[in-house]
Amino acid sequence: MLYELAVATLMSLYRMFAAYLLSLFIALFTGIAMARNRAVEAVLLPILDVLQSVPILGFFPIVLVLLVDRLGPGIGGELSAIILIVTSLVWNMIFGVYASVKSLDPSIDLMANVYKLPFPLRLAAVYVPASKTSIISNSIISWAGGWFFLTSAEVISMGSQTYKLVGLGSFIFDATDRGDIQALTAGVTVLFLVILTTYLLLWNPAVVRYTGLKILPGVESSYRAVDRAVASAWRGIVKAMLRLRVKIPGGVAFLTLIPLLPASIWLSGAGAPSFSTWSANLTYYLYMFIENVWVTLIRVYATLLVSLLISLPLSYLSVRSRRVGFIACTAGELLSSVPAVVWWPILLPIAFTYPWFVMFFVYLQGALWYVYFNVMIFGLQYMKKDILELAEIYGVKGSLYFKSIFLPALLPSILAGLLSASGGAWNASIAAEYIAVGGLKIDMGGVGSLIDKLAARGDSAGLLQVALYMSLLIVLLDKLVWSRLFKRLGSRYVVE
Amino acid sequence: MSSSEVVLSIRGLSKKYKVPGREVLVLDNISFDVGEEFIAILGPSGCGKSTLLRIIAGVEKPDSGVIEFRIGHEPRIGFVFQSPTLLPWMTVLGNTMLPLLARGVDAGEARERARRALTLVGLGEFEDFYPNELSGGMKQRVNIARALAIEPDILLLDEPFSNLDPLTAETLRSEVVDLWLTGVVPLKAVIMVTHNVEEAVLMSDRIIILSPRPAKIVKEVRIGLKRPRSRKMPEVQALVDEVYSYVS
Ligand SMILES: Nc1ncnc2c1ncn2[C@@H]1O[C@H](COP(=O)(O)OP(=O)(O)O)[C@@H](O)[C@H]1O
Ligand SMILES: [Mg+2]
Repeated sequence: MLYELAVATLMSLYRMFAAYLLSLFIALFTGIAMARNRAVEAVLLPILDVLQSVPILGFFPIVLVLLVDRLGPGIGGELSAIILIVTSLVWNMIFGVYASVKSLDPSIDLMANVYKLPFPLRLAAVYVPASKTSIISNSIISWAGGWFFLTSAEVISMGSQTYKLVGLGSFIFDATDRGDIQALTAGVTVLFLVILTTYLLLWNPAVVRYTGLKILPGVESSYRAVDRAVASAWRGIVKAMLRLRVKIPGGVAFLTLIPLLPASIWLSGAGAPSFSTWSANLTYYLYMFIENVWVTLIRVYATLLVSLLISLPLSYLSVRSRRVGFIACTAGELLSSVPAVVWWPILLPIAFTYPWFVMFFVYLQGALWYVYFNVMIFGLQYMKKDILELAEIYGVKGSLYFKSIFLPALLPSILAGLLSASGGAWNASIAAEYIAVGGLKIDMGGVGSLIDKLAARGDSAGLLQVALYMSLLIVLLDKLVWSRLFKRLGSRYVVE
Repeated sequence: MSSSEVVLSIRGLSKKYKVPGREVLVLDNISFDVGEEFIAILGPSGCGKSTLLRIIAGVEKPDSGVIEFRIGHEPRIGFVFQSPTLLPWMTVLGNTMLPLLARGVDAGEARERARRALTLVGLGEFEDFYPNELSGGMKQRVNIARALAIEPDILLLDEPFSNLDPLTAETLRSEVVDLWLTGVVPLKAVIMVTHNVEEAVLMSDRIIILSPRPAKIVKEVRIGLKRPRSRKMPEVQALVDEVYSYVS
């Protein structure tokens, strides 16, 4: 079992790093291209907006079947797992790079043009350093989200077929399925250890740097080593590119299409079930969707509310005390990375008596962290020293402080977090409303549950239609309600 | 400096900008020659001076007209920007090296040349500093060093002293003139854009005066005065008065 566990751990780690590096690459090129080219921006911004908020898990079985069909279970399964993880990592990273490069002083562009900096040098000297902070902060959120999705990526069933990839997720899933407590404990322990180690070694020092929280003494030197390794690897890449005098202008435009890859796979998936079966059942599935959607809608917004109620007081306390801040950030990173498959067995004892609690827990797990990290990591950066000093000098305290200083300063981060969290909550509905592990089966109704049941039946036409209706509803809500609300709040409160 | 040999010839330059709903003519048929000399281009703000400089630097295309460099090879152009435009995440040395790396000079050689340029502007000791550790005047010196590092044939300056306090500006002005006169840098010509009449008279060999937008050449004034010049010299005063009469 030890050997098995070690292999599983390495495979999961490899999958995470592969997906992360791929996401980083995509985020850099797409973000830069969007910020620098109006045409690319006009096309990609709305598309990415949709992709970000669409329940990717709902489409995933279709992607998997298609890839496995064409490339065989080995490569196809591996590829689809990495694509799924990328789809949970990449969006906020793209937006982070885009926003950083977009807000660069135009005179820097003039300088780069006057001195004809070739693209690799521009990348190394201007764009990457300019977006470094946002890449790191977003990586932290993404990394946690990646672990959360890892298990969904490693075990997927569509109809009678189940695809399993060797990895920690499937290891834990199998152990739960067999009721093997020893293997389960070992798997969960290793998972926690891996998550905690990668967080402490890679991300915590970065969080420390950008939030001013306290660093763990032993960790700093390892971080410096990582920092140096990354810096010298990066220098090597840039040097090689400069020596080769890479010319990428045509290539960049092409590379920006990478994030559309999943979209194109879905579209080709849409063509797969014959068209007549489609139209015949159109009203049937629409009716099913409408019947189920309202419960999910209520749950999604309840989840968002609870996320706010958890995050705001904690970040308020973090401003007051560094210690609370450090604990809150580390605990958040750890808890947010715990995949649903680990929670289920832990929650098993109460699952029979309080199934709604288990459901709600999984919901929160998929949504809370966007709000949490946006408020804790990005938000606290805006709590600048001068604002805090101002509050102290004039004795602004208590509810006045909360209302007139704390909330306005955090508002942009809260709004950004809520927007991502709403996408996360919709996506989580698929994992939350229908749970079948071992002998446990919870069906709470709702669209998420509907999608799961359609997938279990192998009804890909129905699955696709319902997932599309759901996406459509989310986009409509975003455009009609949320973005308007945000614009109004934003213009009133945003502090410079 | 003689202006016998033409370094740069500009003919019939025009430029329009499209803004939503209409087109704005910024440069209207600009023609002049640049010899081996220090030229000041004087005009009110918003008239199109920076646009003209960007076109000469080759980063913007004119709608019509030609620019011809007569120096026998691809011209090396140094550009001193109005604001220092330094990358905050790079040291002074890194910033100064950047144009050299862009030209494919290898890192060791680039470092040497950047150091030399920094010494010329009096910042030899500050190569490891980051821009936010420098004063405004020092940042502007780095901006100048970066332009000199590539050993430019032509130096373009866009209101380089307008964001500095008067004292620093005065010092930097005479340093730039000295760099030009002593010939430590193989410069063939300097073109400086400014809206400051005194600055133009004190520093240049010739002033080209532009009208408010769209910029047309109103007048050229040759400044035949010996250097060093000072504000108090009656000849300088007289020329300043004369140039003011064309500007208003
Ligand atoms: N990229 C641009 N797009 C549209 N209008 C521009 C652009 N750049 C400059 N302008 C306009 O052209 C005019 C001249 O600008 P500029 O050359 O910067 O003037 P100056 O440097 O003399 O102050 C100004 O009215 C400015 O608003
Ligand atoms: Mg200007």
